[in-house]
Amino acid sequence: MVKRLIQSEYLVLLLSAVYFAALAPFTPGFASTGNLANILSSMLPLLVVAMGQTFVLIAGGIDLSVTSTIALASVVGASVATGDQGILSGNSLATPGGILAMLLVGATVGSFNGAAITRFRMPPFIVTLTTMIFVSGFAVWLTQSKSIFNLPTTFTILGSNVWVALPLVAVATLVMHFALSRTLLGHWIYAIGHNKNAAEISGVPVRRVLLFTYIASGLCAAAASILYTGRLESASPVMGRNILLDLIGATVIGGTSLYGGKGKILWTVYGVLFLALIDNSLNLLNLSYFTIMMAKGAVIVMAATIDSVRNKLLNS
Amino acid sequence: MPHAQFMKRLLPIPISITLASLFVAMWTAGCGSNSPTTQEASGQGEKQLTVGVAFETLQTEYWVAGFEAIKEQLAKRNIKVLEAIANSDSNRQFEQIQTFVTRGVDGIIMVPKDAKTCIPSIRAANSAGIPIVLFNRPAGESDAKSVAVQADNFKLSKETVAFMIEQARKTGTKHKAMVIMGDLGDINAIGRRDGFDAAVKGNEDLIEVVSRVPSEWNQEKAQAGVVNALQAHPDISFIFTSSDFLFPSIVSAMKTAGKYKKIGEPGHVILGGFDGDATAYQMMKDGYLDATGVQDVYFEAEATVQALLDLRGGKDVPTLIQDPGFVIHQGNMDEMTPKMWGANIRK
Repeated sequence: MVKRLIQSEYLVLLLSAVYFAALAPFTPGFASTGNLANILSSMLPLLVVAMGQTFVLIAGGIDLSVTSTIALASVVGASVATGDQGILSGNSLATPGGILAMLLVGATVGSFNGAAITRFRMPPFIVTLTTMIFVSGFAVWLTQSKSIFNLPTTFTILGSNVWVALPLVAVATLVMHFALSRTLLGHWIYAIGHNKNAAEISGVPVRRVLLFTYIASGLCAAAASILYTGRLESASPVMGRNILLDLIGATVIGGTSLYGGKGKILWTVYGVLFLALIDNSLNLLNLSYFTIMMAKGAVIVMAATIDSVRNKLLNS
Repeated sequence: MPHAQFMKRLLPIPISITLASLFVAMWTAGCGSNSPTTQEASGQGEKQLTVGVAFETLQTEYWVAGFEAIKEQLAKRNIKVLEAIANSDSNRQFEQIQTFVTRGVDGIIMVPKDAKTCIPSIRAANSAGIPIVLFNRPAGESDAKSVAVQADNFKLSKETVAFMIEQARKTGTKHKAMVIMGDLGDINAIGRRDGFDAAVKGNEDLIEVVSRVPSEWNQEKAQAGVVNALQAHPDISFIFTSSDFLFPSIVSAMKTAGKYKKIGEPGHVILGGFDGDATAYQMMKDGYLDATGVQDVYFEAEATVQALLDLRGGKDVPTLIQDPGFVIHQGNMDEMTPKMWGANIRK
């Protein structure tokens, strides 16, 4: 029974439900409608960026630059859309223009990462870490560390109203889920993650597929940036700086392997849900930020351990 | 498709349905359970209030002192405290304020990251009818309603720098000056920079500002900036920092350049700061620091809690309550030390 449970791909979803049921009676407001909307609202941007990371991780890579991509996309998009001397200030195209600029930033950073990794065969860790440092510095330099405000309501509503964001994120989730599980591209991504050399010999266009995963990750980071920026009604050059632990944590908790070849978009949804529940409940229990960080770290280590045990069971 | 494989695929469906049902059941059960955290004090019939205190950071001694002073004020009034620290993350702070609203707190005290990113948080509190007071950082102009308690950064900086200029005048020579600025997205940093500039204006015959170091409230950036400035202008003899918490970086850079001398010693650099923290107190006691503008944390904490209670009581409260603060220097140190929060935490 325990063996079957550990092997189940619904383990994290089950844990989320058990955790929710166990804490609801003791945590004031945890199960209230308003709080569930809060959990959903905090889940959505993290889920979007984590889905891109899932693509990269399954292909055997890692993208550490997403946090700075979020920051740069935020300030570039806001520079276009803001009513305070923005490039399209007062124009009806301010919102679409801002969003387009943000997605362009994501695609550019992703293309650079992908090109450096595939063309020059550089390690993804080093490439994306360097990109993170560069892009982060660039965002601060561009704005002289100032935040940008006065964004159009048509822009901010995307992040501030959960019922507007939810259908958009749901569609994106379904598209990415089907792309990964039902298309040839998805099979290629898994094949590369399992064994890159074998995939190459089998005729998989490894370079192009890897490039695609990093561009997808950049685009997802930019899309998450739209949600974060809208939520706070302002753009900041340090936006998203602290989400790397949550991001990697959510994908690993969901079951996506850091070694590549294994993972699903649905697992990432479960991972993000579980992390959001932990975060929210510990906040409600009035634990300090630092205690929450320690608890999250412990949960991520536990998830990695379970993943390891699960792999052993499957191989035995 | 073989039967076993088909069953294997179907198996997760009941599990998912069960889990979804459980979630919905919990949600339904939870609806309406968003009871306020106000509690009946045992046997008294009086309601114990709960206040959420959300600080952007506890990175500096000033914020720690402010946090403790607010908690002390709330404890004095038998008010329960919920704490939240956002570690300089506006998004996290927004979620923390939402959590306070979910818990139905009776009031919120907040130190926002900056003047604008806090507006959605204030709106959330406004929508729930929860009074909110901002400690030390007021919000920017918007339709969101809040009260702020803040030191008069401009006036206090101007007075501090004016005192430093008096000391400079006594030396009978012209001084080259450096100002270390904070994060210019922070209204406090802007007020302090403007106070410095206002004090220097009209005294250009005595003070020539040769370096403006942007620290972004970051020790490493401050140190790098001061090191570079002292290399470019080794004859700098007048330094004002927008916050005392940057002194360790400044002193380290000054020591490297051989410019950290006591008052009265040849080569002494006239030093001034803002905040009144423990490092500044020690430097002043040891005879290195000329003056610092002290924020009266105890006044600010008391005014914050009182404003929150007044708002709850439906009283009129001004949108900005200013702490006049005071300048402490070698001449009034004995008299003013008991009011300097940095001196008290050093004890």
